[in-house]
Amino acid sequence: MIEFNRFKLDNGLTVIHHFDPATPMAVVNTLFDVGARDESEDRTGFAHLFEHLMFGGSVNIADFDAPLQFAGGESNAFTSNDITNYYNTLPVQNIETALWLESDRMLSLAFTPKSLEVQRNVVIEEFKQRYLNQPYGDVWLELRPLAYTTHPYKWATIGKEIRHIEEAQMEDVKAFFKTHYHPGNAILCIAGNISFEETKALVEKWYGNIPGALKPERILPKEPKQKKMREKTIERVVPNDAFYYAFKMPERRSFEYYVSDIISDALGREKSSRLYSRLKKDLKLVTSINAYITGSLDEGLLVIDGKLRDGVSFEELDQALWETLNDLIVHPFSSAETTKLLNKIRTVKEFQEQGLLNRAMNLCLYELLGDANGVNEENTLYQSITAEHIRELSRDMLKKENCSVLRVKAIRA
Amino acid sequence: MINRTQQPEVKTIEHIDFIKPHIFDVTPSVPLLWMKDVPNDTVRLDLFFDAGIIRGKNSVPAIVHSLLFSGTHERSSVEIHEAIDALGGFLDTDLSFEAAVVSIYCLREHLSTISSIVANSINGLSFRENEVDDALRSMSQKFNENRQKVKNVAQQGFREALFASDADYSTVSKAEDFESVDYPEMKRFFREHYLNGLNRITLVGNVEQDTVDALIDLFGQWAMETTPVYGGGFETTQRELHLPVDSAVQSAIRMGKLLFPKTHPDYIEFQVVNTIIGDYFGSRLMSNIREDKGYTYGIGSAMMELHNSGYFVIVTEVGSDVTQATLKEIRYELERLQTELVSKEELGLVRNYMLGQLLKSADGPYAMMDMYNSVDMYGLDLDFYDEAIRKVKAITPERIRELAALYLDWKDFLIVTAG
Repeated sequence: MIEFNRFKLDNGLTVIHHFDPATPMAVVNTLFDVGARDESEDRTGFAHLFEHLMFGGSVNIADFDAPLQFAGGESNAFTSNDITNYYNTLPVQNIETALWLESDRMLSLAFTPKSLEVQRNVVIEEFKQRYLNQPYGDVWLELRPLAYTTHPYKWATIGKEIRHIEEAQMEDVKAFFKTHYHPGNAILCIAGNISFEETKALVEKWYGNIPGALKPERILPKEPKQKKMREKTIERVVPNDAFYYAFKMPERRSFEYYVSDIISDALGREKSSRLYSRLKKDLKLVTSINAYITGSLDEGLLVIDGKLRDGVSFEELDQALWETLNDLIVHPFSSAETTKLLNKIRTVKEFQEQGLLNRAMNLCLYELLGDANGVNEENTLYQSITAEHIRELSRDMLKKENCSVLRVKAIRA
Repeated sequence: MINRTQQPEVKTIEHIDFIKPHIFDVTPSVPLLWMKDVPNDTVRLDLFFDAGIIRGKNSVPAIVHSLLFSGTHERSSVEIHEAIDALGGFLDTDLSFEAAVVSIYCLREHLSTISSIVANSINGLSFRENEVDDALRSMSQKFNENRQKVKNVAQQGFREALFASDADYSTVSKAEDFESVDYPEMKRFFREHYLNGLNRITLVGNVEQDTVDALIDLFGQWAMETTPVYGGGFETTQRELHLPVDSAVQSAIRMGKLLFPKTHPDYIEFQVVNTIIGDYFGSRLMSNIREDKGYTYGIGSAMMELHNSGYFVIVTEVGSDVTQATLKEIRYELERLQTELVSKEELGLVRNYMLGQLLKSADGPYAMMDMYNSVDMYGLDLDFYDEAIRKVKAITPERIRELAALYLDWKDFLIVTAG
C-alpha cells in the first residue's frame, strides 16, 4: 500500500505528497500532460526536443543542473507519445533546491538561441545513435505509420524525420511552452522523509504565484477501426530477417488493458511462454521471439517481434505464428496457467514498489489517469483476471484484420 | 516576494550510515553475505562463480553461461522455466571479465523451492544437443548484429589492444566460436568453473536463519577449494586503432589507459578527477562536447575495476564528420586539468554531488549489499567509504592537477575509433 496525500493550488497545480521516513533521499517528480501525440504532423519530435530545452536555463536561473548537483542531487526526464516526465533525486535536507529549480522552469524558460541550436544538434545525434546507426534501429519509424493511419501515434517520439528537428524555430518553442507548460497541465509529486505540512508550505512558497492557464483541450483524430491486415516488407543491411506483428489493443483506462498485458506475458515474456516454447524450442523457426505492449494511454499496440533462424521463410513463420495464436482461443488457459502469470505480476510489483522514484512516477501517472490511488488498485485488477477474460480478448484482438505486419528482409551491403 | 535568483541554503552531508551484512562461512574461503533488514517480501540471491570471460577460450565461458538452465536428463529448459515462473520467480545471469553471476529474484515464501530448482538444474545440466544448437544459433546472430554496431566494435577492439600482453584478458569472440562447440571442453569448463567454482553468495531478504543454513548446505557443494588467481601487470603497446564499419553515420570512440586496482592509495582521489572529467551530467566532457558543441547525445568516463588492476576509459558516439574534432576537444579537456586549477565552485559542486551519490548508493538493503560487496570482493571493508567521505571533502585543486598530470598524459592513451 502506497500512502499519499493530495492537494491542489489555486493556479491548478495538482500536488501529491508521499511520506517515506526510511530513506535519506527525496524525489521531486513532475509530469506534464503533453507528449508526441500533441504535436502537429508537420512539426513532429517537438515534445521531446522541448524536454531537452527544459534543461537549458529558466527565467531566473542560468543553469538547471549545476545547482542541483551542488545540492547533492541529479535529474533526468523522458518523453513518450503521451507524457513528458521530469524527475530529481537528492538528499531530503536539500529538497528546496529542487522545488526552486522546477518551479522556475514552470514559470518560464530563458529561451536562449544557443540552447535551441545546441539541443537541436544533440537530438539529431540521438536520432542517429538510436534509430539510424543500429541494426533494426528504424523499425518503429516504419511500424507506427503502418499500424496507425490517423491517430498521432503514427509517428515516433523522436519525430518522423530529422528535418522536422532541424527546422524547429524559437517562436514554435515559445508557443509550445505557453500552451503546455503551466500548473494546470502538471502533476507534481514530492516523496521522502518530509511531512505533509512542510511539503504544503514549500510548494505554496515556490509554485503559488505561478500564473495559471487553461488546460489545453485535446482533440486528437480518432483512429478508424482497422478492417484488414496490413503488411509491409523493407530491405535493410542487417544480419537476419526480422518480423513485427502489431495488434491494436484497448486503451490504458480500460480493464482490458490489463488483460492485454497478461496476454502479452503469456505469449512471449519468459522462456516458458507459448511463442518461445512453440516457435523457438519445438519448431526451431526463430532465434528470438518476444511479446509486449506499448503501454500507451490511447489505443496502443501489442507487439510480437523476433528474428528468423537462417533458412526459415517468412511464410513458414507466419503459418506457425497464427496457429499458436489461434491455439490460445481453441485451447484457452487453464486456471493454473493464469495463476502462474499473476504470480509474476505480484513479484514485479513488489520489487517496483521498493524504489522511491518508481512510486513517485506511478502516483503521478495514475493521477493523470484519474486517481493516484489507482496505483494501489492495480494488483487487485490484475488478480481478478480469469482464463475466460484472456480467451475472450484473445479472440477479439489477435486476429488478422486487427494486425499490421512489418518484415525486415536482410540484404547484403 | 521570494527571491528566485538565489539558491536555497544547501546542507552538506556530514555522515552516512553504512550497514554491514551478516557474514557466514560456506567454507573458509567462500562467504555468504546476508542483508536481513528488508521491509517487504522481496528477496534476491546472487551466486558468484569463478567462470568469467577470462577463464576460457573460443567463447566457451559465454556459451556455458547461456546454457545453465538448458535442461537436465529429467527436465527440459521450458519445464525448468515453467517451474520457476509458476512461483513468480525471475532468473538473471551476468557475465563479466572475472565473474559469472546467477541471480534469483522472488518473494521470500518461494526462495527455498526456487533455490532447489536452480541447484538441480545446474547439478544435472546435460548439454542436450538441440539446446546447445539453439544457443549457438542465437549467439551467432547476436554476434553478427553486434558487428554492425560501432559501439561494440570499438569495445572489442579496445579490449584486445588494452590487454594485449595477456591472452586471457584480451580474448574476444570470433564468428567461428558459434559454428560448433567442443563438447568435452565445454563440459570440463562447466565442472571446473561451476560445479567447483562458487566463490561467493549474497542474499538480501527478510528470511529465517534456517533458510540461510539450508542455502549454505544446498549451494556449498559447489564451493571452490582453491583461491582464484587473477591477472595483472598488463601492458598496452598500441596507441591508435581505427576499425571500419560500413555505412555508419556515427563513429564510436573508446579511449583509455591502464590504471590501478581499487586498493591503490590514489583510487578515491582519482575518482574525483574522473567525476570532473566525465562521470556526471555537468562534467567537463559533457559540458564541452554535448552542451556546447552538440557533437553527441552523450559522452562519459569511468574507472573500471579488476582484482589486480583497473583502467580509465572515455566512451562516446559522435557524428562521423566530427570524430577528429571530438578527439581534439577531449585532449583539450585532459590537458586543461593538468595545467589549470579547478575552481572552488566546481570542486564544491563535484564534492557535494559525489557525497549525494554515495548517500544514494547506501540507501536501502539492496543498494547497501551491492555497495558492501563491491569493496569486500577486493579485500576492502566499510572503512573504504568512510575514508572516501574524508578524502572527497579534503581534496584540493592542487592535488587534482597533480593527479591529472600523473595519470592523464595524452601520449599514454589507447585511442580506438570505429565507424
